[in-house]
Amino acid sequence: MTSVHVDHGLTSGAPPRLAPAVRTPDGEKFLNGMAGTRIRQNGCAAAAYAALYANVDVITAYPIRPYTAIMMNLAQFIADGILDAEYIHADGEHSQFSAAFGAGSCGARAYTGSSGVGVTYGYEMYSIISGARIPIQMAIADRTLDPPGDFGSEHTDALCTRDMGWLLGWAATPQEVFDKSLIAYAIGEDPRVLLPQMVVQDGYFVSHIAGEVEMPAIGQVESFLPPYQLPFPLDPRRPVSHGPQIHPEQGPPLQLERARAMEDALGVIREKTDEFAQVFGRKYPHFVESYKLDDAEIAIVISGGHSVTCRAAVDRLRAAGVRIGMARLLWIRPFPTSDLQEALRGVKAVGVVETNLGLGGASYGGILSLDVTTALYQMDGERPLATSFMAGLGGETVPMSEFEWMAGKLGQAVARGRVEKAAHWVGFED
Amino acid sequence: MSVRGTHIPEHLRLPIAGVTPPPTEKEGQRLFPTGNFRFFRPVYRDKTPPCNHACPTGEQIQKYLDFVKHDRYLDGYLTILEDNPMPSVTGRVCYHPCETACNRAAHDEPIGIRSVERFLGDFGLNLEENPIKKDLPPLNGKTVAIVGSGPGGLACAYHLRRKGYASVIFEALDSAGGMLRAGIPAWHLPEEVLDKEIAKLTGLGGIEIRCGVRVGSDPGGITLDHLRTGYDAVFLALGQDVGRRLDVEGGRSRGVLGALEFLRETGLGRPVKVGRNVLVIGGGNTASDAARSAVRLGGGEATIVSLESEDELLIVPEDLEQAREEGVRFRPQHSLVRVIADGEGNVTGAVLCQARLAKDENGNVRPQISEGTEFEVPCDTILIAIGQVQVLDWLPESFTERGLVKADEYGRVPDDSEAVFAGGDVMRGPSMVVDALGDGKRAARDIDRVLSAQPLEPDGPVEVMPYERLNTAYFRHAPRTPVPLTPAGTRSKSQKVEVTLAYSREEAVAEADRCMSCGVCNGCDNCYIVCPDISVMRDARENGRYSIRTHYCKGCLVCVQECPTGCLEKVPELDFDEPDAVVRMETAFAPYDGAHAEQAPFTRQLIEDAIAEYDRSKTVQPNGRGVTP
Ligand SMILES: Cc1cc2nc3c(=O)[nH]c(=O)nc-3n(C[C@H](O)[C@H](O)[C@H](O)COP(=O)(O)OP(=O)(O)OC[C@H]3O[C@@H](n4cnc5c(N)ncnc54)[C@H](O)[C@@H]3O)c2cc1C
Ligand code: SF4
Ligand code: SF4
Repeated sequence: MTSVHVDHGLTSGAPPRLAPAVRTPDGEKFLNGMAGTRIRQNGCAAAAYAALYANVDVITAYPIRPYTAIMMNLAQFIADGILDAEYIHADGEHSQFSAAFGAGSCGARAYTGSSGVGVTYGYEMYSIISGARIPIQMAIADRTLDPPGDFGSEHTDALCTRDMGWLLGWAATPQEVFDKSLIAYAIGEDPRVLLPQMVVQDGYFVSHIAGEVEMPAIGQVESFLPPYQLPFPLDPRRPVSHGPQIHPEQGPPLQLERARAMEDALGVIREKTDEFAQVFGRKYPHFVESYKLDDAEIAIVISGGHSVTCRAAVDRLRAAGVRIGMARLLWIRPFPTSDLQEALRGVKAVGVVETNLGLGGASYGGILSLDVTTALYQMDGERPLATSFMAGLGGETVPMSEFEWMAGKLGQAVARGRVEKAAHWVGFED
Repeated sequence: MSVRGTHIPEHLRLPIAGVTPPPTEKEGQRLFPTGNFRFFRPVYRDKTPPCNHACPTGEQIQKYLDFVKHDRYLDGYLTILEDNPMPSVTGRVCYHPCETACNRAAHDEPIGIRSVERFLGDFGLNLEENPIKKDLPPLNGKTVAIVGSGPGGLACAYHLRRKGYASVIFEALDSAGGMLRAGIPAWHLPEEVLDKEIAKLTGLGGIEIRCGVRVGSDPGGITLDHLRTGYDAVFLALGQDVGRRLDVEGGRSRGVLGALEFLRETGLGRPVKVGRNVLVIGGGNTASDAARSAVRLGGGEATIVSLESEDELLIVPEDLEQAREEGVRFRPQHSLVRVIADGEGNVTGAVLCQARLAKDENGNVRPQISEGTEFEVPCDTILIAIGQVQVLDWLPESFTERGLVKADEYGRVPDDSEAVFAGGDVMRGPSMVVDALGDGKRAARDIDRVLSAQPLEPDGPVEVMPYERLNTAYFRHAPRTPVPLTPAGTRSKSQKVEVTLAYSREEAVAEADRCMSCGVCNGCDNCYIVCPDISVMRDARENGRYSIRTHYCKGCLVCVQECPTGCLEKVPELDFDEPDAVVRMETAFAPYDGAHAEQAPFTRQLIEDAIAEYDRSKTVQPNGRGVTP
């Protein structure tokens, strides 16, 4: 593993910190009272609680459904004196993310978020923030992009940003939202990575549906996620320049560094996921949840909340004798190429559930299958056949029957030795 | 995976995210030169402020106001002395064309330049030593003859002395000063002030004033030929001290006087009789001065009778106002028809009529009389102030034209010696003290050129800074500091009490502080502060001490926008071709035909060289491999 090249003596010695992160007495009391309990809460609340536990310094907000509830919860924490953080209500997502970026550059643990067209409105900032290597966190409760004006979940908003240098993780339950928020901060703030993170949950299916979430002790969180320490903060006591203008030839090495950081993050994700399991006792797969894949002939690749239905469908199909399994992607950036290859080794046909729009792409379907098929194409030995399914668009559920339909298509492919086409629009085909 | 096996060559290794040391004043952005982004470059180019341009001596007004602002009075005084030898005089009597031109008038009110000038002049006059004396060059052995000791003659002698020339000034009157003494009343310019200013000049050594010598016309006296042969050059600054006469019936009665003669006698301290009911004929400054002096001396009344309407009067506004305050009356658009005298020839009255100012095709005044409007007014004195001439019959005819000495654009009189110059009123006709001072300065420069065999050259073109190009957002509105005056009741009773008083130190500083430094850097530090790239350097907060780091300035021109004075300009980058210029990006200025911009030859060559070097490095070696370093 390469490590980032930090030199010029800029980062040697202890960089100055702003005021040490202090919890309010009320906050401490509140969290101590909570420790060890399980509370029912939806994904938005889970994200807000995670930010509270992470003791964020700066929160920047701009309302848009469905993620707004995260910011409402945080605003309430501050109003109640439970959280001492700067809460900036910006005039739009671009300034919202810019403010979080500025705060992160100064050494604050910054937290922001959005949904749907809010995510795309602030697009300019994504590359800037990751290029500056400022590890802020953004919560996304995903939502369709207009048109039509639709509040429903779709993965397109977050997936659009996938190549901007942010870590991109998907959570399927409120508990996972909570856990992933902490894990993502720990990975992004690791000096070997220094990248911002998006923690995505499906709008409504996760963001607004309650599940049980276990509340840890403050000590647990602080041992896993120590106070944020940017190696090169903007600080008048030790001035540095960020975001310099450069010669054209100086661009590529910086981009290569960012590409390396993305790849280095793979190892750090493994490390932090394991560490999390030790501290909190909840063990997540590093990248891919393999469900009944061991002897599977066909497999569904999926991310996010629809995996809950998918798991049930797999069980039902298995009961009917179909050798099917599921691979759920917990991270989409960095893309877990080798973990996915291992998970799908021996499978004969793979179908990717898209839940997103990739108009005019190679498959004429969605975005996710482009990465999945590239990963499969690189596999040593026998490669599975691959297709994809456009399903769950516009906030629709993906019902059991549709998974069964997909299984049928995959079974046909195995039988014929080839897929009918690269993408199926489920519900619009026989 | 993709980044496995990559390496970054040593020369391209950068700190994470390009985080670099903070740019410092000395270092700037060492790592990332950005100068190649630039299409325009900020350049400091001082322009001429309108005040400076309007002052015939070219006083560097902005500069000395800036010195005053910073309590550097000696520096301010020395700045004036570069152009004007007698700021205590001009600070009192100049008609201040500078203030008329001042850009601040468009903002709120013009700067009280003359009063600050007076403040500095009096500061200098009170110094024990003349501060320029120790730095004067030694005399070079050449001597210039100057006729007339008015401001023109004195200024010429002064500037010549600064260049190492001696001079002898011939003056017909018994004391020096020209109209400063024999015209301008003491209540405008006290005798002691004038004496001190003149003593300051003669104290420099090398300037001799011979009074009581009338060149040309005294039998057995000094002639023009004496001057031409006995001196290296001649400067004629004779002024115009002969009053024009008015031919009217009764014009020779006792009590009818030329205003100039009246003022001269008064100025020279001789006894003059003036009655208690005085008519002054004329509509200019001489009429105003004569009327006001008559009020002071006679203790009675004075009325100015003029062809001019009230709006046409040629009296400077502040003098007009002061005259009114002192009780001077006006009878505009009237003419003197006849003087009425008693049996002994003493004036007892005058016949006036309505009239209008009109001029013939040559510009000569030709009053338009309204027939049948005559009426009689009583008076005991009549002062005639209808213009001045000079006796020039002792000069060769080729020297004169229409009553004036004729000269080319350099003030040179057509003479074989090529070393006879003229200036002041005798060349221009009635004008201003400061015109004469400016002519004297220019004559000294050109005499020096002629005597050192250099060609005479006109002044180069100057760019005068217009108000519109200032960033006026930086100038708070502030009223002009009023000039203190002696109350009319007090001053109109005395020939000696000064009418216009001086600024205090605080007032002078406050007034100087209003100056916008039009077009001239005054070290405000704005550029230094606003540059987002720390590309403006300075070693002292002073004019001329800022520079642009061209390797880092990317031409955003924030500094140009935010320069209050407008001394910073944007100049197209292609105007520069210096050897250490930044290499332009090819994308910005493509070197190839058909591209969107042209490139300076030097920068074009740099790119050609770089391409050639790259090609060389790719040359295929005998082993079949290209070599890359
Ligand atoms: C009453 C009055 C008031 C004025 N007030 C102002 C004012 O307030 N502000 C202002 O700016 N201007 C004023 N002026 C105008 C100003 O005084 C003149 O423009 C200026 O003095 C001209 O300077 P000069 O050197 O050309 O001539 P002068 O000042 O006239 O000096 C010429 C000198 O040459 C001498 N001379 C002439 N012929 C000979 C000779 N043959 N031999 C030797 N000596 C000779 C004369 O005696 C005289 O001393 C005023 C003029 C007058 C008449
Ligand atoms: S000499 Fe007259 S014009 Fe020149 S600066 Fe002084 S007041 Fe102004
Ligand atoms: S503001 Fe100052 S520099 Fe500008 S014209 Fe007036 S005196 Fe001169």
